[in-house]
Amino acid sequence: MPTKTKVQRLPAEQMFQKEIDALIEAETESIPTGWKMSPKSVLTYITGGKVGKTVITPKYIGHKRLVEIAIATLVTDRALLLIGEPGTAKSWLSEHLTAAINGDSTKVIQGTAGTTEEQIRYSWNYAMLISQGPSLEAMLKSPVYHAMETGTIARLEEISRCASEVQDALISILSEKRISVPELGIEVPAQKGFSVIATANTRDKGVNEMSAALKRRFNIVVLPAPADLESEMDIVKTRVTQLSENLDLNAKLPEQEVIEKVCTIFRELRLGVTLDGKQKLKPTTGVLSTAEAISLLANSMALAGSFGNGTISDYDLAAGLQGAIVKDEEKDMLAWKEYLENILKKRGLKWSGLYKECKELNHG
Amino acid sequence: MGEKIQIKEINGRMIDASIQIQEHQPVIFGIRHLSPAGAWNLRKLLDEVMPQLVLVEGPSDFTEELRYLTDRNTKPPIAIMAYTNETPIRTILYPFAEYSPEYQAILWAKEHQKECRFIDLPSGVFLAFSRISRKDETLGEEGHMSVYRKLDELSGEDGHETFWERTMEHFSENHGYWKGAEVFGKNLRELTEDTECDYAEIVVREAYMKRQIKEAIEAGIAPEKIVVVTGAYHVEGLKRSTAELSDQELKQLPFVEVQKTLMPYSYYRLSSRSGYGAGNKAPSYYGLLWEAHQREEADYAARSYFSKLAFWQRKNGNMVSSAEVIEAVRLSFSLAELQGYQIPALRDLRDAATTCMGHGNFGEIAQAVADTEIGTIIGSLPQGVSRTSIQNDFYHLLDKLNLRRYCSMTADDLHLDLREKLTVKSQKAAFLDRERSFFLHRLRVLGISFVDWQQVHQEKATWAEHWVLRWTPEAEIEIVEAQLKGDTILLAASFQMKEEAQKEGSIAGVAKIIEQSFLCGMPETVSYATAILQKIAVESAAVDEIAKTVQSLSMVIQYGSIRELSSEDLIPVLEQLFLRACLLLPASCICDDNASHEIIQGMRMLNEAALHHEFLSEEHWLQVISDIAQRDDLNTKISGYAAAILLERGKFTNEQLKLQVERRLSKGVPADLGAGWFEGLSMKNRYALITRMSLWESLDQYLDTLDDEEFKRALLFLRRAFADFTAREKSDIAENLGELWQLNPEQVDEVLNTPLTQEAQEMLNELEDFDFGDI
Repeated sequence: MPTKTKVQRLPAEQMFQKEIDALIEAETESIPTGWKMSPKSVLTYITGGKVGKTVITPKYIGHKRLVEIAIATLVTDRALLLIGEPGTAKSWLSEHLTAAINGDSTKVIQGTAGTTEEQIRYSWNYAMLISQGPSLEAMLKSPVYHAMETGTIARLEEISRCASEVQDALISILSEKRISVPELGIEVPAQKGFSVIATANTRDKGVNEMSAALKRRFNIVVLPAPADLESEMDIVKTRVTQLSENLDLNAKLPEQEVIEKVCTIFRELRLGVTLDGKQKLKPTTGVLSTAEAISLLANSMALAGSFGNGTISDYDLAAGLQGAIVKDEEKDMLAWKEYLENILKKRGLKWSGLYKECKELNHG
Repeated sequence: MGEKIQIKEINGRMIDASIQIQEHQPVIFGIRHLSPAGAWNLRKLLDEVMPQLVLVEGPSDFTEELRYLTDRNTKPPIAIMAYTNETPIRTILYPFAEYSPEYQAILWAKEHQKECRFIDLPSGVFLAFSRISRKDETLGEEGHMSVYRKLDELSGEDGHETFWERTMEHFSENHGYWKGAEVFGKNLRELTEDTECDYAEIVVREAYMKRQIKEAIEAGIAPEKIVVVTGAYHVEGLKRSTAELSDQELKQLPFVEVQKTLMPYSYYRLSSRSGYGAGNKAPSYYGLLWEAHQREEADYAARSYFSKLAFWQRKNGNMVSSAEVIEAVRLSFSLAELQGYQIPALRDLRDAATTCMGHGNFGEIAQAVADTEIGTIIGSLPQGVSRTSIQNDFYHLLDKLNLRRYCSMTADDLHLDLREKLTVKSQKAAFLDRERSFFLHRLRVLGISFVDWQQVHQEKATWAEHWVLRWTPEAEIEIVEAQLKGDTILLAASFQMKEEAQKEGSIAGVAKIIEQSFLCGMPETVSYATAILQKIAVESAAVDEIAKTVQSLSMVIQYGSIRELSSEDLIPVLEQLFLRACLLLPASCICDDNASHEIIQGMRMLNEAALHHEFLSEEHWLQVISDIAQRDDLNTKISGYAAAILLERGKFTNEQLKLQVERRLSKGVPADLGAGWFEGLSMKNRYALITRMSLWESLDQYLDTLDDEEFKRALLFLRRAFADFTAREKSDIAENLGELWQLNPEQVDEVLNTPLTQEAQEMLNELEDFDFGDI
């Protein structure tokens, strides 16, 4: 681990430098051109394991096969598109993939409504451009340009938030695998190993729908929500603990039972089926992601800390749940009421307090 | 860890195993059932050895049926089947696909005019064993599962299926398969010996097979000219120097009388239920592997898999570009390489297809995958070969239920009375008609044309049934086909309805299936369909559809006892549907008059259900209804009907009614709305309405307040509201009005009940044309 710095967050390759070095050192398999380690080692880096004496911490838990598909895609020099609900670790996975493959996760473009075509290709240092005319020195290369030159992987976050002309600029890069600079009369071919990992949010569907032509140039991997209750509870617990340290919330950490209740309700409404699989439910319109469960608990802690006795009560929880689940839509209200009557009411003593508080809120 | 290394040694492609035929020993070829590579390698071995005799693992009493297996008109997949004469029917089944090693060995023997025999225990002994061990069935299942789970753990990656495919089903050289399968079988044996609960049975089987081999050798066939084809598991057992089964022991084996038959089989059934737990999840894909071996093209199956997928997608209107197919092929090879193999396994193919052709979404290609991996192929047999267990079951039931005489070409009527007959002595005779009804309904569900169900007049409908029975040769064929769904009529009907329930999309449709299962007397299917109903009910939002479903379920619960059906499972679903209907109802009442009819029907059904069943929340229902009755912003006819329900249930006092009438029928309210409300109110319990004088007083006062134009308008609507009152009701009203206006009742009655004069009719017609827009 690096010594304490004032930097808020280090890039993945520096944070896990030791692990990457250990993997490279112990490498026995053949390494694709432009890569720092073999595909198998990349897999170990992401999903965890042991190399010699070094323990490799798992970075992405649960869906190993998806990671395999992602890596295999990059071996075939195809571009990779990671799609998922908000909070399903798309960017996290993309960062660690590039950290392991290239030892560099920093060639990244954040897709926004304001992203321009120049940011994908190249732009100019205008002062220099005016004084000296177009030259290589006056040129500002984009991360994608850099990646093509060096045969590495560029990352493009939230691609579906970019305007369509920006997305289109990618098409020629991905199919021709070269960038032409008419101002200088040169063409830069991509070196072997060049590829792009893009991420997109399923909830942004329709904002800037990706064209079929662009989609066709990607292999698409859909990242699902955490696979089971236990792993989701683990994630929630760790993050809530971190958050409460950062934010100095004057409340006790939520008990296991509270986390379980929130995660259970979220999972059931998200998946539209009870955890035991016996009953289907009407899902709500909201995402109800793991990230939301985390913020709900943090909020409840803040409520309990500031206005209550410091322990999260069913009353605090009920208010939070109602707010998270019912997003000012008639439909959600109906689904939530049905859920209360058909499921929560029949869950027995452990849940009866929460049921009563929720019901109270609905009639108030 | 040691075990893991051992299992990793099995690798059809790696092991250099030069052919080792030991002198004076028969050649024992271990296979996995339904293994294309096994079939291919076995044929190669047979060509090399040129045996005089081929011995195949399979019930020895089926040797005489071998000629049907190799008949020109036989198209695999087919199965050989034996079943007990006694009930409950138990069956054993050996399915063969074209790529079954056993089937290819049998074919080879026929092509080369060599002798071929089955050498396993006779089917009668097998079925006798299964009767003995039936008690421990649950335990056996568990024991079996744990073996495969253990195997899955040892195999790594994705379990033993994928492991087997990767190491054995792709190309092998120099008898790698032969040796690999032997090691696999040996390992499997070490894992399971002693723990497997039917191990004793296995020992007996192997001793019996050894006896058969020995007999063949004693009959003068050179041992090295005998090839034995058997499951890899048994190779070790057959090679051990334990004794063969003695004459004495043979006599001691239990035995039951059985029927033997061949039957057509299907790829679908091969994939969904087969007893081996081995390599048959994707028969159609395994067919491709078989083809790949014949063409000797290692990547043929992978390429064909994607082309077939793409072809299916395009045929069904989904765009798939060639580029996508090419990328999928590349990705699948890259995935295989990540695991250290050259040829992608089914798992790689499917994941690559999902990523490249399904855009990351398996749902997009799920149907195409089912078609490519499982397929729809059904085998066939020469005519007259089949006498299946379901046919047997059918005739057996005909006799048992005294229905044999209806088995004629002329149509016969059969009337059933489902009630217990108290005049007869035995329990069986008392419910004979009920049993018959169950049987006939099951046949009807299976679409067997022998039975035709007739409608019965309403009042007897809960206990009487009318059938027309007529036998045709087609019915016989339909019964044989039903064998693919199950071994007996009951099992087949249950399978059929479960399948229908899975496909059904609307809740009313599933409720129908529940009703059917109820008619068939199949409580287990009722619960199954109920679970499905619960699932799809979540999506339904139309009150009238929910109400119809509530009605069907309510009926099944009410009349369940006559068919001895427990309704426990249905109650929670009914509760949920009822709750949903209560939540949705008020919002659905904002509608036009056309739609109001449906809603009112729905309300009637829901109200009846609420009356019949205590477990439905009456309080909630009345709360919803009185809400609808009070509100002014809903369709007034529906509000009127809600008031009628309250009135009928005695939840509406005279005071409240008067208040409502005054509000609804006040001068400011448009006449059509007021009359609409009145129409709704009068759709129920008219007698109670007629006797309430206060109502008529209010109506009278209301009419007084109207001016001429308004009166004309109200007249039209009121006329409509009273249109379907009977003459008797009308004269009662007349009596009321007469009392109010202090007139002679008879006089009023006469006026009301005489047909309209020409003049009056014309006046009314004019009113119909009246333009209400002006008011």
